[in-house]
Amino acid sequence: MPVGILHHLVLAGVLFAIGLTGVLVRRNLIAVYMSLELMLTACTLGLVAFSKQNNAMDGNLFVFFIITVAAAEVAVGLALIVALFRKRGTVRSDELTSLKN
Amino acid sequence: MTPETAFQTLLGAPLAAAAISALFFRRSRWGAPVLSLAAAGTILWVSLQLLLGWDGHEALHTSYTWFKLGDLEFKLGFLLDKTAAPMLFTVSFVAFFIHVFSIGYMDDDSARGRFFAGLSIFMFSIVGIVLADNLFMTFVFWELVGFSSYMLIAHYFDKDYAAAASKKAFITNRVGDLGFLLGILWCWSHYGTVDFQVLENAKLAGSGVPAAIGLLLMCGFIGKSAQFPLHVWLTDAMAGPTPVSALIHAATMVAAGVYLMVKLSVCGLFAPVALDVMLWSGAGLAALGGLCALGQTDIKKSLAYSTLSHLGFMGAAVGLGRPEIALLHMSMHAFFKATLFLCSGSVIHACHHEQDMTRMGGLLKKMPVTAAAFAISGLSICAFPYFAGWYSKDMILTAALVNGNYGAFALLAIAALGTALYIGRMFRLVFLGNANSDEAGHAHESNAWMTIPLVVLGIVFSLGAGWFLSGTHAAEGARMNGLFPASATEFLAHGYHELHHTAAEKGLVLPMLALGVIILVVGLGATLSFYKKTPGDDALRVKSPKLYAALERRWFDNAYDWYIANVQQRVAEFYAFFVDKFLLEGLTIRAIFAGIPAVGGILVRRFLFTGRMSDYAAFFVFGVILYFLYSVVL
Repeated sequence: MPVGILHHLVLAGVLFAIGLTGVLVRRNLIAVYMSLELMLTACTLGLVAFSKQNNAMDGNLFVFFIITVAAAEVAVGLALIVALFRKRGTVRSDELTSLKN
Repeated sequence: MTPETAFQTLLGAPLAAAAISALFFRRSRWGAPVLSLAAAGTILWVSLQLLLGWDGHEALHTSYTWFKLGDLEFKLGFLLDKTAAPMLFTVSFVAFFIHVFSIGYMDDDSARGRFFAGLSIFMFSIVGIVLADNLFMTFVFWELVGFSSYMLIAHYFDKDYAAAASKKAFITNRVGDLGFLLGILWCWSHYGTVDFQVLENAKLAGSGVPAAIGLLLMCGFIGKSAQFPLHVWLTDAMAGPTPVSALIHAATMVAAGVYLMVKLSVCGLFAPVALDVMLWSGAGLAALGGLCALGQTDIKKSLAYSTLSHLGFMGAAVGLGRPEIALLHMSMHAFFKATLFLCSGSVIHACHHEQDMTRMGGLLKKMPVTAAAFAISGLSICAFPYFAGWYSKDMILTAALVNGNYGAFALLAIAALGTALYIGRMFRLVFLGNANSDEAGHAHESNAWMTIPLVVLGIVFSLGAGWFLSGTHAAEGARMNGLFPASATEFLAHGYHELHHTAAEKGLVLPMLALGVIILVVGLGATLSFYKKTPGDDALRVKSPKLYAALERRWFDNAYDWYIANVQQRVAEFYAFFVDKFLLEGLTIRAIFAGIPAVGGILVRRFLFTGRMSDYAAFFVFGVILYFLYSVVL
């Protein structure tokens, strides 16, 4: 069975759904953050798939930039989580409810 | 062995050693050291085979395509040419003996696996820089040496100062590397290539090249070789184990910046302005580092300032348009400075990790081999005639004079005097007089793992590495020229003899020899007697505390601290308080927060404002689904 665009897209969709479920149900911010990253990766996989389908490089190039920006973003995100832990002593999202009411 | 297999072995052996050590031998006592030493030995053997079998003229080149983006091809290529050959010999030779020394020095360390794996990954990276055939590949390995330097500085990561020093080294290098990367991109967009051979064959005239390309590429050198104004990281980097200071922060990695400048200078990528900048910053740093070395009592920090000073010499030589002399000094410096660091390691090891020179003393009789190696490499760095350092250092001063740059000559002469002063001081404080602490009193000579490298690098090479320049050209077909493989000496000897010839025509050879001897005698004589007077303390600190404090003070670190605390931090605070707290949180979010209940009543507030992040995420997903339904259905 040749692997085609459909397989790539289904894989990307499944990864995206797993990530989304993680964001919705997990309570640990680190796990939520990992799930978010999984969603982002699923999107980039879609870009690569379309790039291959269209036989063009622009999707792949786009992915390079996304990876670079994502690396920077992970640094900031993890720093935020560390800062949060220092201030509040927890990274469980159901204990961080200062936006309530 | 074909050149291609040789190149593959040169990179493959250390990489495999590093990977196997990191994966399987992290806790083992002998696994990683043996593998690492075997890899270093392989590198030395293969590079000697390669250099002895090469005629020194036709460059050896192999190239593979790494990946393709449209028309753009990224290549991984290995190039052994006239500049790479001396560097390859120096790096592989010095590195092998520092590996041997490390086995003795790290005998009581609990993390030997990590240390030797780090050394091997460093060897992989530095060989990559030496043999890279284009700037992109250089950049990749450039970052890898930065990583291994970071990892090895932080070897004692449970000490706060070592963790901080590794971070400082890494971040300072980032600043330089940003400029370097921009320079590579600019070169590529301007000339359409970053391949060294293509650039060299294009015969670019330095004056027609945009100055910005040279200046930006120079940023990489400024960061990696700790040149002004990014020199602040090198003295802190001494927090790493001493063999690391010798190998990475004196002999090879910091000198890789000089090597790159030499390669680019041969390609003609530097406009005259860029060369002038390099000359003056190099000469200035040479003088500054040479004097600041007198303001440190820590033996390694004092040597680190000496390294700064000599990197300044090399930068000045490139700036004077003498890349051959810069590479020659880099090679000679690798031998004698590695020895000086290894001697300091031997002393520190014998004194139970005491690094304060004023607490040493009287080690001459207790550690004769170390003292002899220190004396010879010390005389070499002070440019004692016919010692290795004399050939290169003296020639840099001569080059400044031949070019008519009297200002630079004056700075370099001050630096040369500084060298004699700090070497005399070190020898006086560490090896002469009486022991000033119990540790120094009980010191004894190190074992053979440590003394053999001292003999080879210190006594043989610091003395005779330059002798291939004294004779005329090597006999036709000879494989060795002095202590160097003949093919590695072509480039160096050519530049040396050309300059020597010019200097002889102007009648400068004898005056320079006389000046060098005067500087040497005055410097060594002054310090050997001056530092005799106050045992257990630094004579300058006792006699003139203000001058000592001025030398010891970290002017540039303080300036950067001030900038970060008073400029950068203020800007960040402005954004944090005005933009984030006031505009976004206060005027925008709080307004919406207050507005919704006013429109939708208190019930909305009860059910929508749950405060739980997952609820908000669910609302968001729900909203997106609603929007899609809306746009599909309607």
